Amino acid sequence: MKNIGNLKEFACTPDRFQGGHRLCPGCAHGMIVREVVNATEDDLVISTATGCLEVCTAIYPYTSWDVSWLHIGFENAAAGISGAEAMYKALSRKNRSYNEDKKVKFVAFGGDGGTYDIGFQSLSGATERGHDFLYVCLDNEGYMNTGGQRSSSTPIGAHTTTSPRGRVSYGEKNRKKDLTMIMAAHGCPYVATAVPGSKHWKDLAQKAAKALSTVGPTFINALSPCTTEWKFKPQDTVEIADLAVETCMFPLYEIEDGHKLTITYKPKQKLPVEEYLSRQGRFSHLFKPENSWVIEEIQKEVDRYWEYLQRKEEAGV
Amino acid sequence: MAEKYQLKSKEVWDGNMAASHALRQAQVDVVAAYPITPSTPIVQNYAQFLADGYIDGEFVMVESEHSAMSACVGAAAAGGRVATATSSQGYALMVEVLYQASGMRLPIVMTVVNRALASPLNIHGDHGDLYLGRDAGWIHLIANNPQEAYDITLCAFKIAEDQRVRLPVTTNQDGFLVSHTAQVVEPLQDEDAYKFIGEYKSLNPMLDTKNPQTYGAQTEEEWHFEFKATQHKALMESTSVIDEVFAAYEKLTGRRYSRVETYKLEDAEIALVLMGSAYETAMVAVDKAREEGIKVGLLMPRTFRPFPYNEVAEKLKNIKAIAALDRSAPMGAMGALFNEVSGALLANGQSAIMTNYIYGLGGRDTTAEHILEVIKETDKNKEAKKRVTDLQGFINLRGPKLSFN
Amino acid sequence: MATPKEMMSTWDKIQFGAILPSFENPEKKLKSKFNSFNYKVADWRVEKPVFNRELCIDCDFCWVSCPDSCFLVEEVENKRGKKQAKIVGINYDLCKGCGVCVDVCPTPIKSLLMFPEFTEIDEALNQWPTKDNK
Ligand SMILES: Cc1ncc(C[n+]2csc(CCOP(=O)(O)OP(=O)(O)O)c2C)c(N)n1
Ligand code: SF4
Ligand code: SF4
Ligand code: SF4
Ligand SMILES: [Mg+2]
Repeated sequence: MKNIGNLKEFACTPDRFQGGHRLCPGCAHGMIVREVVNATEDDLVISTATGCLEVCTAIYPYTSWDVSWLHIGFENAAAGISGAEAMYKALSRKNRSYNEDKKVKFVAFGGDGGTYDIGFQSLSGATERGHDFLYVCLDNEGYMNTGGQRSSSTPIGAHTTTSPRGRVSYGEKNRKKDLTMIMAAHGCPYVATAVPGSKHWKDLAQKAAKALSTVGPTFINALSPCTTEWKFKPQDTVEIADLAVETCMFPLYEIEDGHKLTITYKPKQKLPVEEYLSRQGRFSHLFKPENSWVIEEIQKEVDRYWEYLQRKEEAGV
Repeated sequence: MAEKYQLKSKEVWDGNMAASHALRQAQVDVVAAYPITPSTPIVQNYAQFLADGYIDGEFVMVESEHSAMSACVGAAAAGGRVATATSSQGYALMVEVLYQASGMRLPIVMTVVNRALASPLNIHGDHGDLYLGRDAGWIHLIANNPQEAYDITLCAFKIAEDQRVRLPVTTNQDGFLVSHTAQVVEPLQDEDAYKFIGEYKSLNPMLDTKNPQTYGAQTEEEWHFEFKATQHKALMESTSVIDEVFAAYEKLTGRRYSRVETYKLEDAEIALVLMGSAYETAMVAVDKAREEGIKVGLLMPRTFRPFPYNEVAEKLKNIKAIAALDRSAPMGAMGALFNEVSGALLANGQSAIMTNYIYGLGGRDTTAEHILEVIKETDKNKEAKKRVTDLQGFINLRGPKLSFN
Repeated sequence: MATPKEMMSTWDKIQFGAILPSFENPEKKLKSKFNSFNYKVADWRVEKPVFNRELCIDCDFCWVSCPDSCFLVEEVENKRGKKQAKIVGINYDLCKGCGVCVDVCPTPIKSLLMFPEFTEIDEALNQWPTKDNK
């Protein structure tokens, strides 16, 4: 496992994810991916589901990947990487490895659409089969590559192009699917949440390093604030991610062996959800008087869930 | 090391068992598959070979055919020999990924046991799945009996992996009629079969992590056309490699395969064109018809893709009337074989009176008598020197006569 | 998104299977012409970040937060002989001007600031705010 020391040391890691990609300015996907691929010294084979990351980092004739990389479709990043991992095992067994001196790690990236929704089956299958890979969900709470439609990760109240606010609508009606817990329920040896940025960089890097050195299927759900569709200024990406953590809208925790939960960061003082919601255009309609109840509901749910996480951590079961 | 499987010089195998042994002998590195009737036994047999120590590759029992083909793509791009098996609905579920496999030029072999597509649900043989995959950029090879299913599957690896081809290949056998019909098969010994196929030759393997490769880039209007054109070129030009491989296989086994198979076509005046197990039934019908003085012959494209249009035209150049028999619901057109053959003739300045017959959907029986009937109708067209029968008819369909003109 | 003219090739010369090698010389890690490192996104910018080495404390917050891998780093040894990254500049071919680096920069007077794209670096440094004027 790569020792994640201080940032000064980590920053000596030569980038294996190059700039010159076409992600929007300030896109969190780029921040997360850089950290994950830098969190190991092993060689990498990566698959990526269709979505912003994929369409922006391999536009022919350019690739932003200094590691082996594969995109097949929207719903099969996990299946694709499971095939590559199986080939690695087969060739090792048959003494036909391409590089005997190098360990290879397998990583799949998918958006929330490619993970919570259309790719969930293939993720569940690959996880259940016990392939040795890390799956990282870049959770921007909607189908951003196709113009910001809802997904099952879209939080209640958010405006998306298919759950729009309107004369009689306050936006998304359903609550965000709790995918991290669902992945833990698969019995994965390691599952975690994470956010990008300078405040929690070590939390993310350590989790990635840990996941990559764990044998078996591991999962990281990384909140990926989307400047374009969440509607905030590009320079605010890191601040928005931090606010998600400080309000407990997106708590940072990890779960080992499917049950042992540790909260990896506890805000000194939990901020009200308004602090997070008010910074994003996708929630602006919630601040109209007739929608104030939605914010109250969101706060209640956040409080309940935060309580639940703390109790689960305490119980250690 | 995998155990050597003791094989007799003659085995009694059904088509599924024949294909399973071919996969085993190819020492496939990764098989990722999902069961579906009637190809399920291929997956089961393979699992049993593994359980008995005859396989040292990986066998990934995925959760769907979509994932089966996706895992095949991942495995093939990683850099090794890859195969799978499927039928019908499973094939349909794979379609998206079939295009991706061929676009990335990955030499995956898929043993297809042909079955009808729902709805209504039907588990029996027809070519609905094969026709669905027609434009997916794969080489499609046809096997008419268990021996052919075995032979053609071994050839498929050698064709797919040839550096001049690097395209995925399906081998097709009719559901139940071939897949579940036991016949005598003469297999090669394990080492001879493997030697024939040869070691896997890698090309841009992802697992050579020192030299990373990006697979599956996006190509918009600036590039997509160029890629599809080169892919088509590879498919069109695979014919010479297919010929080479068939010739090498003949040298090894004495069994001869051609991209266009014919039966009694040399002196024929009329011909039937069809693929699959019905080709063998049609041979019986041809013999009977010839006893009655009708000079009829048969033609089968062994490679449905690449379609051997020039060879087909050449073989049919003296034929006056042709019936193309398609085993797939044509849905608003003439059957694919009708169209391909008509086009092949016209392109070479030839013409024959063309008719189309739809037969065998969902496993409906097609007997030698039925085919004899078709021969007689085709002969009428020849005699009349113009089409006097229906343009498109249905064989062994219950109820009042259905036809289109 | 137009491909630069020199990269446009014909059907008989395009990459087999659209497969792109990251390196031209993998041993030496020499990036291939297909590496997006060689693609320029500078024209996306309206404003550019300017780096002030004088004020920088090498916390590397900008390095870790930049989504476009723009920060040029030199590996140096600290007093205790441990390796650490020293920020030496910004790759303006890759920078899209998002401003995240400026936002996360923690020095009391920021070591990174956004300036209109056509401001010369020297000019920008001359205009840098001082303690009483930040
Ligand atoms: C089978 C299939 N269905 C739909 C699409 C269209 N599509 C491409 S990307 C995308 C949304 C991606 O959303 P997400 O996975 O959340 O990634 P993001 O772009 O938000 O990072 C959709 C709907 C597709 N490419 N393939
Ligand atoms: S739409 Fe959002 S997720 Fe997609 S590239 Fe832009 S900022 Fe990133
Ligand atoms: S402005 Fe954005 S892209 Fe440019 S260096 Fe700063 S963080 Fe990177
Ligand atoms: S964030 Fe500011 S102080 Fe820290 S390294 Fe970057 S420029 Fe220097
Ligand atoms: Mg998304």
